Amino acid sequence: MRQILIYFVLVCSFTVQSQINVSGTVTNEKGEAMPFVTVSVKSKNKGTKTDFDGKYVLEGVSETDTISFYFIGYQRYESLIGSNTKLDVVLISEAQDLEEVVVVGYGEAKSKEFTGATSKVQGDDVEKMNVSRMDQALQGQVSGVTISTNSGSPGGSANIRIRGLSTFGDNDPLILVDGVVYDSEGLNALNPADIKSINVLKDATAGIYGVRAANGVIIVETKQGRINAKPRVEYNGYYGIQTTAKRLDLLNAREYAVIKNEMFGLGGQPMPYVNTELGEGTNWQDSVFQRTPVQSHNISLTGGTNTTKYSLGLGYFDQTGIVGGEKANFSRYNARLNFQTELSKKMDFNSVFLYSNDFRSTLPENGIGSVLYNTINAFPDEPVHTPDGNYSYLEEVSDIINPIAQINNQYNGSIANKFVGKEELVYTFNDHLTFTNRFNYNYAQVNTKVFSPLVWYGDGKYANTALNANLESPLVEIAEDVFIERGAAVYEERSSFTDLTYESYLNYDKIFDSVHRVKGTGGISIFQRRGESLNGTAFNIPNNSIEYADISANTADGGYLNNTGSWEFTERLLSAFLRAEYSYKYKYLFSAILRRDGSSKFGQNSRYGFFPTVSGAWLLSDEDFFKPKWIDLFKIRMSYGISGNDQIPNFAYRALLNGEGVYVFDDVITQGVAIGRPANPDLKWETTRQFNVGVDLTFLKNIDFTANYFIKNTFDLLFQPEVTAILGSYGPGGYPPIINAGDVSNKGFEFDLGYTTDTKKDFVTGFNFTYTMVNNVVMSVPEGVDYIPGASFGVGGDIATRFEQGYEIGYFFGYEMDGIFQTQEEIDNAAVYQEGAKPGDIRFVDQNGDGIINFNDDSDKTNLGSPIPDFTMGLALNMKYKAFDLSANFYAVIGQEIIRNFERQQPYANQLGYIIDRWTGPGSTNEHPRVTTEPTRNTVFSSYFVEDGSFLRMKNIQLGYKLPKKILKKMKTENLRVYVSANNLFTLTKYQGFDPDIGSAGVLAAGVDYGLYPQAKSYMVGLQIAF
Amino acid sequence: MKKGILIVTIGLFGVIFSGCEKFLNVDPPYTQDAENFFETKEDYERALVGAYDLLQGSFLSLWIGEIASDNSIAGGESVNDSQGLHQIDAMSHGAVNNELRNIFRWNYAGITRVNYIMENKDKIDFPGKGELIAEARFLRAYYYFELVKFFGDVPLIIDKRIGIEEARNIPRSPASEVYAQIEDDLIYAASVLPWTSSVKGKASKGAALALLGKAYLYQGKYSEAANTLNEVKNSGVYALISDYEQLFSVSNENNSETVFDIEYSGLEGGSYGCLICLEGNAAPGFHGIRQYNGPVYGDGNSYNLPTQDLYNAFNSSDPRRGYSVLDIEAFIAAQPNPESISYAIGAGGHTGYYNNKYIKRQGEIGLPDNDLTSPVNYRVIRYADVLLMLAEANFQLGNQSTAQQLVNSIRSRAGIQGIPVNSLNVIYNERRFELSGEGHRFFDLVRTGQASTKISGFVPGKHELFPIPQVEIDLAGGTWSQNPGY
Repeated sequence: MRQILIYFVLVCSFTVQSQINVSGTVTNEKGEAMPFVTVSVKSKNKGTKTDFDGKYVLEGVSETDTISFYFIGYQRYESLIGSNTKLDVVLISEAQDLEEVVVVGYGEAKSKEFTGATSKVQGDDVEKMNVSRMDQALQGQVSGVTISTNSGSPGGSANIRIRGLSTFGDNDPLILVDGVVYDSEGLNALNPADIKSINVLKDATAGIYGVRAANGVIIVETKQGRINAKPRVEYNGYYGIQTTAKRLDLLNAREYAVIKNEMFGLGGQPMPYVNTELGEGTNWQDSVFQRTPVQSHNISLTGGTNTTKYSLGLGYFDQTGIVGGEKANFSRYNARLNFQTELSKKMDFNSVFLYSNDFRSTLPENGIGSVLYNTINAFPDEPVHTPDGNYSYLEEVSDIINPIAQINNQYNGSIANKFVGKEELVYTFNDHLTFTNRFNYNYAQVNTKVFSPLVWYGDGKYANTALNANLESPLVEIAEDVFIERGAAVYEERSSFTDLTYESYLNYDKIFDSVHRVKGTGGISIFQRRGESLNGTAFNIPNNSIEYADISANTADGGYLNNTGSWEFTERLLSAFLRAEYSYKYKYLFSAILRRDGSSKFGQNSRYGFFPTVSGAWLLSDEDFFKPKWIDLFKIRMSYGISGNDQIPNFAYRALLNGEGVYVFDDVITQGVAIGRPANPDLKWETTRQFNVGVDLTFLKNIDFTANYFIKNTFDLLFQPEVTAILGSYGPGGYPPIINAGDVSNKGFEFDLGYTTDTKKDFVTGFNFTYTMVNNVVMSVPEGVDYIPGASFGVGGDIATRFEQGYEIGYFFGYEMDGIFQTQEEIDNAAVYQEGAKPGDIRFVDQNGDGIINFNDDSDKTNLGSPIPDFTMGLALNMKYKAFDLSANFYAVIGQEIIRNFERQQPYANQLGYIIDRWTGPGSTNEHPRVTTEPTRNTVFSSYFVEDGSFLRMKNIQLGYKLPKKILKKMKTENLRVYVSANNLFTLTKYQGFDPDIGSAGVLAAGVDYGLYPQAKSYMVGLQIAF
Repeated sequence: MKKGILIVTIGLFGVIFSGCEKFLNVDPPYTQDAENFFETKEDYERALVGAYDLLQGSFLSLWIGEIASDNSIAGGESVNDSQGLHQIDAMSHGAVNNELRNIFRWNYAGITRVNYIMENKDKIDFPGKGELIAEARFLRAYYYFELVKFFGDVPLIIDKRIGIEEARNIPRSPASEVYAQIEDDLIYAASVLPWTSSVKGKASKGAALALLGKAYLYQGKYSEAANTLNEVKNSGVYALISDYEQLFSVSNENNSETVFDIEYSGLEGGSYGCLICLEGNAAPGFHGIRQYNGPVYGDGNSYNLPTQDLYNAFNSSDPRRGYSVLDIEAFIAAQPNPESISYAIGAGGHTGYYNNKYIKRQGEIGLPDNDLTSPVNYRVIRYADVLLMLAEANFQLGNQSTAQQLVNSIRSRAGIQGIPVNSLNVIYNERRFELSGEGHRFFDLVRTGQASTKISGFVPGKHELFPIPQVEIDLAGGTWSQNPGY
């Protein structure tokens, strides 16, 4: 992409010499005539283009002139005229010609000719990041795309947001791998090493995908073979060690004892510690965080004959968690076959087959009661193990359990087997018309097993399943005076998902009168997804042991406690699409798209939708009047279109009896029925209208600049807003109906700036910088609803996040802190009455100015920030000197806020080190309130708990060395490179939690940190070798 | 070949653009649709189970009925834990209150489930349909009675489901109309239902009449109340059990004193995320002693803690004091190894007392999380309550001696001496002693006009009713007026 094509439009005087005429024909490697090739005389303002038959004539040149032949995607050819008056030229396609092609859905386009806003990332740039998932690698590499991490645990997912959050519901883009729909949840199965390129369609030109295009489209291509290339075997692997990048500053035992004494003392309760000299005590983080390995190995075989190309890949990846070790593990096997052949002169056959087998085990994460939540709050004066060898109980807080014991009691794993493929026949009628028929499939079988042993964490712990510390089974009464034991349980689930797609389309491409190029695409797509699942739980697993953890081994008396469940669904999509493109002299480009979708997700009242898009571009730099010679390419683009989002539950338009209607008769739990969600037969998709204007610039030969400004408005948001209670939707298992209401607007600006020096020189340097700014605002919410409530703060606390008109999605709402009350006098004389305030308490701002801080309603709460960044930036640096190469990737997020929600507000819970600077008397601090066990308002949700989450992270740095050609020749090796690499080496941030790169699948839960599983810091050594 | 392919393609386009309706008509597999239901007797029975389900939310009425009164404080982990209850405790509650909103939502969910049956009641006929409809109408009366007690005038929706648009145009009906509907439903239910049901947990004629009597009493219709409650008494179906202490144990459910219980089971686990989804009774676990480690009781969340005022109100010779209020320090001191027993105090408040009627006891513990899965039934209407209501109605009608006889039958069962019933206050106090901790107190104080003298912070003319949650007013179109004072 950075290989930039330059037209020389030279303005200079010319000296008169003997003038001759030169003519000839330009063809490509296949001998086909090449029209529109730029033929220019170097250093002279003279030039022409080849005609439709590839012929050209240059008049009035001299023998000392050099002629340059140039066409996009081909190597420039230059020749001194000398005595030749006829000069036939064969242009060779660029080695990296693929970089210039963008995949646009049901076809390709040269990036120069493309009218939409798109970004492309090469497979190499993905692979270099040494990560397990594509989304992690994309972070910071594409402008307009914001990626936040849901979990740093092995196999943990990330959120891909193209041009902001546009809906309350599903914001995931449509991801297509070789044309096959690939869910973002399923990305664990995709091996980044198999990726040839990633194209991101950001603007309305994604509308060729209609009802699923509103969140943008990501098109992934897997690696292909090459025509006439001998087999090449390549190994690429690395091994690394991971550690945590950060530990929190928590109180040690001595500090803890002092603080707790003060806290209880001020609360009028006896001080718990007679002796506070407890030393360091237990640092729970030391016990929880481990040093663990990560490794990846990939072997590929590529090549081709004159009619066939093939690429095979095998991959293995294994990562063990820095928290939980094997209990938080992710491993994956991949196999890939990409096969393309010419069946006959007119018929091509393309086949892709991707198989993956991945395994993931997880710990309770990022929630109240998660392992890291417990780690942060565990008391430093308690040992991990008591002298008798048992885990300590941490008895003083009922919902904090020993995190090491918790890790040891986790037994879960899910294995996904996934088969993804495409079989495609392309029939070429003639040079202008091809007909493509393809059948895609995506089958995933997911097996899950969760073993829940009898566990005991101490008296009164919520997580206990045993009756007592001896791990005796609790007894349950199944009928009057009939008791049976309820022992260890195992849950197993088998789910399968089958996507089948048939697509058929015609592509037309013809140039009339040498200047009018007309392209057309028209086709249909039929899609079906089916999912089904069967699950069961069995009790009384022998010996309370994972060894016997299978339903078949259960010994539940009479099977009374065991239970089973199942579900299944089918959804379908029926679509037709048309795209017409016209360009005049490659300078003026127009494109129009129309797609019609019918979706089974919607009722008959609004089942079908039309999605139109128009776009255009002007290649200013090709105009004769365009003078600045330092600008090589100047393109202006514009697009506008409508697309949809149908990501809602199936059958949402119907009223189903899927509520919960259960009551107890004769002491037996009796199942009845109840309406779950009321019907809404008028339900339809969300509609996104997007406008984009952009420029593509290349100047000084090796600097590329692309910028876009967009306005993306989403209407008719699919909501399940609160509805009036009198509809009766709020019984057990009941939901409000899904309705279309609410609008969201995203406006933004994004740019990419790239620079590369000549790659053929000894010293090569380059960078690519991306910048993304999105202004998100909720334009309207459903009638009668003031806001949609989101995540709550603390345990059973206030709602802290909201979806509300005039604000960003998921902004934080609470009291604003205004320092600390220093004296009673200050409280007494304050203009604002704050109920119950004492010296050392947080002073809040009286937002509504009524002279009272109202704790019983929202009138004094205000906007405390939002998890949506003001802007994000990415920077990739590359350097090469002879055999050495060095690269680094940085990612920065500026202006996001995070709620520090991992502190259990309980007297005995451990606290962060900042509490040492607490208020202890007038003038001591204006930052942190006093500690006390008496009731205060210091723990209500306020700006005290909101932190600046801006950060700059070095995501990856890699230093490689390539063996010289001479040695390689002796070794009969084509390429051998070794490298050392580190991920996540440092992060600059003021945020106090583990990791400021925090996302959430739920849009209103974003930026709420319960003790996120942090991304590991890893050091790796790698080897690439090719034969 | 070219032509063939083109024709096929054009054909396909035609098919797509004309719309292949059949392909897109996907039915939810193996799932019943709300519109194709009520085809069999079993369909009706299952819908009725769904209508009963919402009774299980009554633990919240129990809490508010006590916490709002002089009987108990909110308690809990902190003042921010179930903030709505703390506000009600302090009489500082406003129109933003999650607990009140749950009351509003849950009872309308119950009403809607009954109305769904009533909307379809004529679809088919089968033996036993009359009783089924009678049970449904009993449930509707129960839910409306809860609503009218809490909120006064409420929208009255009968025998049909409503749509989103329609819901915006339904006004609050005067409480008198709601009461008329309650009476109508209960009179019908009482006329059809048998005195006793063969199935434990089902509404009976006695339950319908007792609830009807209570509804009359709340309206001051004393002669109707007396007649109705007399019918219950004269049926001979009910009797006080001899041992007051046994009244609230799981093992002694469905006894001769049970007029109507809300049934719970300990056999299904649950989560804090959805208390209305529980099959267990949340009250005993929430009332439990925080981080308690010792005999007899289980640990819990220290909610709804009885006040010193309640404890002191009892005569020390009244055994009901100990059965109703657990004095934790005294209890621990009386155990063999008091030093081995520990418990914690929640920052939401501490009185030293716990609700001893509904409290987590060892031997009555459900599945994990057992704070949520108590199998203990909520005794909504005990025969003792019926007798005390009857006494009150009689006293109001001038039958002082009947009232005295009734009150003293209650006292004699408790094992204490009779007293002269020479004022209504004697009966009111007896209600407190007999029924404390059972969720009646606040509503009794309000209907008998004692609330402003007994409850600190109670503003007459305001706090008799709870505010309609503001968000519900907004969601219903914003036309309802708020209750006075809020």
